[in-house]
Amino acid sequence: MQKVFETILIGLSTGSIYALMSLALVLVWRSTRVVNFAQAGQAMFSTYIGFEISSRSEVFWLGLLFAIVAGALLGAGVDYFFMRVLFKHANSGPAAVVAPVIATLGLLGLIRSFVGLTWGGEFKSIETPASTNGFTIGDSTIPFSPLNVLIIVTTALILIALAILFQRTNLGLALRASAYAPEIAQLAGIRTARTRTIGWAIAGGVGGVAGMLVTANNFLSPYSLDLLLVFGFIAAVIGGLESMVGAVIGAFVLGIGLTFILNYVGTSLVFIGGFTVLILVLIIKPDGIMSRGKARRA
Amino acid sequence: MRKKILLFIVLGWVLLIVGDRVDELRVYQGAQIAMYTIALASIVLLTGYSGQVSLGNGAMMAVGGYAAALTLTNLQTPIWFAFLMAVIAASLFGALLGAAAARLSGPYLAGTTLALAVGLPAIANQFTFLGGEPGILFDVGFPPERLGEDFTQYKWFFWIASSIALVALFITSNILSSRFGRTWQAVRGNALAAELAGVNSSRWKILAFTISSALAGLAGAVFAMNISLVAPGAYSLALSFALVTGAVLAGISSLPGVAFGALILVAIPEVADALAGRLGDADKLNNYLPGLIVSVLLILSVIYTPNGPGENLRKLRHKRKAH
Repeated sequence: MQKVFETILIGLSTGSIYALMSLALVLVWRSTRVVNFAQAGQAMFSTYIGFEISSRSEVFWLGLLFAIVAGALLGAGVDYFFMRVLFKHANSGPAAVVAPVIATLGLLGLIRSFVGLTWGGEFKSIETPASTNGFTIGDSTIPFSPLNVLIIVTTALILIALAILFQRTNLGLALRASAYAPEIAQLAGIRTARTRTIGWAIAGGVGGVAGMLVTANNFLSPYSLDLLLVFGFIAAVIGGLESMVGAVIGAFVLGIGLTFILNYVGTSLVFIGGFTVLILVLIIKPDGIMSRGKARRA
Repeated sequence: MRKKILLFIVLGWVLLIVGDRVDELRVYQGAQIAMYTIALASIVLLTGYSGQVSLGNGAMMAVGGYAAALTLTNLQTPIWFAFLMAVIAASLFGALLGAAAARLSGPYLAGTTLALAVGLPAIANQFTFLGGEPGILFDVGFPPERLGEDFTQYKWFFWIASSIALVALFITSNILSSRFGRTWQAVRGNALAAELAGVNSSRWKILAFTISSALAGLAGAVFAMNISLVAPGAYSLALSFALVTGAVLAGISSLPGVAFGALILVAIPEVADALAGRLGDADKLNNYLPGLIVSVLLILSVIYTPNGPGENLRKLRHKRKAH
């Protein structure tokens, strides 16, 4: 029984990080209709910035702050200097459908090589903000640590901030409107292009947090966030790619489910488990758990 | 048809002569180019014709490579049988994935296959019969003695690889110019219209996925032969990226372009090497410069020549005529 409890707690912590990554993907998907594979690269770059700051200042939170800023700037830059140019040029012929996907891949490769050339390929580790030693209950120590608590709390704060932003502010309304119906939003006086860039910036910042939190418990390398991207994508698909609430729920379901596999079956089946979930969701409920019978738009 | 056969025979003859004239390294690179042409043909068929983006063709190559290596080491069969098993295993796997993929449109398919490309090599690490990190040796043996004393190993690879590539390209080009190719283009252009004309679009998509995977599997086996082993590291995500890049550079729906794309993919590490040697600090540069060049080429070509350099040339010519 205690093991089940532990597994759920660890799963919540893992799911928090997946939730941030899948939110970053969903935010961009809603506004741009592109699954941004470069998000892994953007988050990785922001994490390297956070790593530099936090290892110099020896304060994790300062690093996190800089990672958010770097992620947001990079996200806005990618939309402004890259996606706009892309949509202006690659809009006809057999490649038009596949161009955005391929372009974000190219961008992922570009960021990865840039990071590799700057920081090299060796593993880096970040100052942890809290102890990674598990809590002691009675006379047994469980793997759930203060760091896990911190990850969950940080994620919760960010989710609350995003919920307030999207539900209670004019900017949030503009973001939702231009994602839902860009033409009508434009007619209503919203500058949709600028709003989209802001959406990319928010996604980039959230991705930076995901990178920092996952690295606090692990190592950083030019490849270390690829798996996070995949699990974030799976979580987003569970939620239907369209819904932010769905993505968060999907992330927690996936995080807890995979932690159960990890604790009860073994490491070798974690990825296969995640992939099976992806295929099953796509076959059984391709619109995700939040769908209301509306046809998928893609 | 007769013209095409003649063209391929002439191509083979030219390759035979060229193979005799150049040194060992170039022969090896020739074998790699042959391997890439097969792999790129699989992407042209899938993405260029049937309009499905797959980032998992590197994973399909892994399936083919492992199938061939397991056949060869465990059953001691002739080489051609190992290649056949690679094709069969990869196409079965492809049909399975295609059945799930046919329901998916662009981003879902790309994401799913990306997940596969990230995960599949790592899975190979987990199972002992797949050899773990170091992989399995893949040895097609020495060239037959009747070819002469100074017939080198790499030349033997080159012969096998180019003959397989020629046959595979011949078959692919026939498939693409037949009813199959036209139906795929119809489904890609407008799935609804194609359905109204009596085409079962998801069945055709699955078929495209299966044939494409078979080609990728074959390429994977040839790759394993060229480097004499199958290992998870060889079929990395970077390989899948490189394939997409090569296909986009070649013009994603142009089959003759694959030779050009393959040439560039083989040339990139060479160029990067030369550059790294000139710039110093070899370690970092060696590891990341090829990736940098690949990504920059991919980004530039997807923005400025999304349908291949051929289309831009046609447009330019058109413009000149109009003036």
